[in-house]
Amino acid sequence: MKATYEAVFVGSSVMPVHFDTEKCIGCHRCANACQTDILLPIDGKGKPPTVMYPGECWYCGACVMECPTGAISLSHPLMNRARFINADSLGK
Amino acid sequence: MADWPYENRSGKRAEYTCDVLVLGGGLAGCHAAVAAAEAGRRVILVEKGAVIRSGSAGTGFDHWEMACTNPGCRITPEEMTEALVSEQDHYGNRIAHYIEAREGYDRLMDLEKIGGKVRDTGDEFAGAAFRDEKTKLLYAYDYTNRYTLRVWGSTFKPALLRRLKALDVTVLDRTEATALLYADREGRRQCTGAIGMEVRTGEIRVISAKATVLCMSRPARIWLFNADTPGLCEFRPFQSIGSGHAMAWRIGAEFTMMEKSVRGEFSAAGRSFPPYGTGNNHNTWYAATMVDSRGVEIPYVDRDGRELKSVDERYRPAPGQKFFLKGGVIDEPKYEWRGPETLPFDELIRRGYRLPFYADLSRMPDAERRVIWGLMVGEEGKTKIPILKNYTDRGFDPQKHVLQSYGTGWQSAAFLDQERQLFGAPGGLMHDWDLKTNIDGLYAAGDQLYASDCAGFACATGHYAGRKAADAALQLEEVCPDPAQVENEVNRLLAPLDVRRGMDWREVNMACAKAMQNYCGGIRCDDLLHQGLDLIQSLRTEALHEVSAHNPHELMRIHEVSDILDVCELIYRACLARACSCAPLFFERSDSREEMRTQEDGFLTLSNWDGEIRTRMIPHDYAGDLVTSYTERNRDYMRSREGQV
Ligand SMILES: Cc1cc2nc3c(=O)[nH]c(=O)nc-3n(C[C@H](O)[C@H](O)[C@H](O)COP(=O)(O)OP(=O)(O)OC[C@H]3O[C@@H](n4cnc5c(N)ncnc54)[C@H](O)[C@@H]3O)c2cc1C
Repeated sequence: MKATYEAVFVGSSVMPVHFDTEKCIGCHRCANACQTDILLPIDGKGKPPTVMYPGECWYCGACVMECPTGAISLSHPLMNRARFINADSLGK
Repeated sequence: MADWPYENRSGKRAEYTCDVLVLGGGLAGCHAAVAAAEAGRRVILVEKGAVIRSGSAGTGFDHWEMACTNPGCRITPEEMTEALVSEQDHYGNRIAHYIEAREGYDRLMDLEKIGGKVRDTGDEFAGAAFRDEKTKLLYAYDYTNRYTLRVWGSTFKPALLRRLKALDVTVLDRTEATALLYADREGRRQCTGAIGMEVRTGEIRVISAKATVLCMSRPARIWLFNADTPGLCEFRPFQSIGSGHAMAWRIGAEFTMMEKSVRGEFSAAGRSFPPYGTGNNHNTWYAATMVDSRGVEIPYVDRDGRELKSVDERYRPAPGQKFFLKGGVIDEPKYEWRGPETLPFDELIRRGYRLPFYADLSRMPDAERRVIWGLMVGEEGKTKIPILKNYTDRGFDPQKHVLQSYGTGWQSAAFLDQERQLFGAPGGLMHDWDLKTNIDGLYAAGDQLYASDCAGFACATGHYAGRKAADAALQLEEVCPDPAQVENEVNRLLAPLDVRRGMDWREVNMACAKAMQNYCGGIRCDDLLHQGLDLIQSLRTEALHEVSAHNPHELMRIHEVSDILDVCELIYRACLARACSCAPLFFERSDSREEMRTQEDGFLTLSNWDGEIRTRMIPHDYAGDLVTSYTERNRDYMRSREGQV
């Protein structure tokens, strides 16, 4: 064994995924489907994982797709929320 | 700071042996592993993420291109291949496109057998112009010639994982491949397996194999980087940065077209939006109705400028045209294959159309609207949750709302010339008709090949390379890993754990991106390229040693940066090797040596033979006659498919 590992939170201006702690059963299927491995089971089974590397999220949605209880929401950074308007408001 | 939640196995080793080793578990890698296992070989599949949703198409893809042997298609695989290659001024991959056009539909049928959804079995689109009522297949783009299918790609990766398990393939998830093992015998080099690291525990994995298939996609984060949201800075997965290119380059594999790069098209870390998330009429959104800010509809025209009156005409060839090309990499095709398009931006402004533009699905026929918003947006990669669900939750209703497009182009993007990407069929590994590289026992497929483009291409070439590697494994001997190679690699991989309070990997990635923008941007010349190469080499020799890691996850990111530096070197070498500007490769020199032009019309290849850079020119038509060359090498396969489709 070479060294002691430490889990150090690497911050970002964004937080891509949020867990509904009421719904999350802490199964960590999301963590195991996450391609970039940014969800770490720091608090152990039964608890939502920690989003340890939020800046590394690719926003693919695999965590949401794998969640059995619908506990995860994914949202784009503010700058990336494209605008939509009522079709009949155009030109008015 | 918290305790690391996984076991610490740094320095511990696990050894594996197999007949066929597949590196990268996206669409190409899964197909390679399935094909080799079906041929009876012992197979190991190594994936840095988790196979269930890994790769570009992990969460889906919506259209399967060039499925020329599907029952509705009116274009032959030969016609399609020549059209694609000629469209790219012959800097296209004839062998791989032919495999795609000829076998792609076989792969789709295989996927259906294992649980993938490829037909409108629920009759959601009964009666639509894009549906074949008998087979229930749905077509995209050219409804007359029917070579591209709309599919439910989100069902494919989980189905492939089940199939791998049923075939007893050893799947090593969370394992980054970092180096290829090799042996030199009788003047030839053979790849004998690979080394990797488990990215949660730091365990070193040494895998001996008779044949190896590279399926780790293409480089990224070369010119584009954003330290705050690095995961968003490229189009393809954050995990895929060209490790496969780097490790193959280090052992002498031959590359081509690495001098090609294009002005960036997608980077949601600032310059653009989430893919498929703005109003547009391309690819997934073809052929959405577009309107201007007054609500006036923007006309579609055919290649002759004839204004199209109906929505259906947007999906039909022009009078006198056999077929048109559309799909992932087809941007502005030549006249022969140019399909319907909205009027060019300049013409729209001249005619008084006003920004911003919007996609307005509410004006489209019901089936066309539902197939774009619901099937295409939904099954396309990164859309089911990030776009379809997210926008629906925000209240978007395609029957009521219009979605904004930003700026003047369909990408809703604004890049500078030096902000480049390996996109639109970029360079990659050179290969022969077996998808074998110049190294014995080393094969490649999917986006790791030169001039690759899409999902059907990845599946078809993956399966093909898996078959050929399975054959080769019968001939090649297993070779014990060279202890010196293993030792060197282990030391390289773990070194950052010994650095205390060092630099962050992102600092080096950013420095590298800036060096590429400054010295290898839109316009190049020898002096700039040499300076850039020196800078990249000094980042390796100086900065890389100062980067520290607290855990294996950070180690993986550092290994990525190291590979990115190798890829940069490969790109610099490729640019230096081409003396003349070359428009089809988007390669521009201020010191172009025009006298070299005729000598450079072909695939310029490049390999790094233990420090010596070797180049060759290979003619564009090296693949020879398609039917003859393919048939000679695939009689068994052809026999095995008889009566199946
Ligand atoms: C958002 C998006 C939408 C797309 N939509 C379509 C579409 O609708 N139709 C279409 O035809 N094409 C589409 N494409 C393109 C298509 O998905 C890809 O061309 C195709 O999936 C490539 O397959 P691949 O197996 O070569 O690479 P990938 O599927 O990207 O797989 C590469 C794999 O290698 C792994 N890997 C990388 N480095 C290492 C390493 N060092 N060790 C181990 N594993 C490693 C990665 O984790 C990844 O799983 C889309 C691409 C994207 C990104």
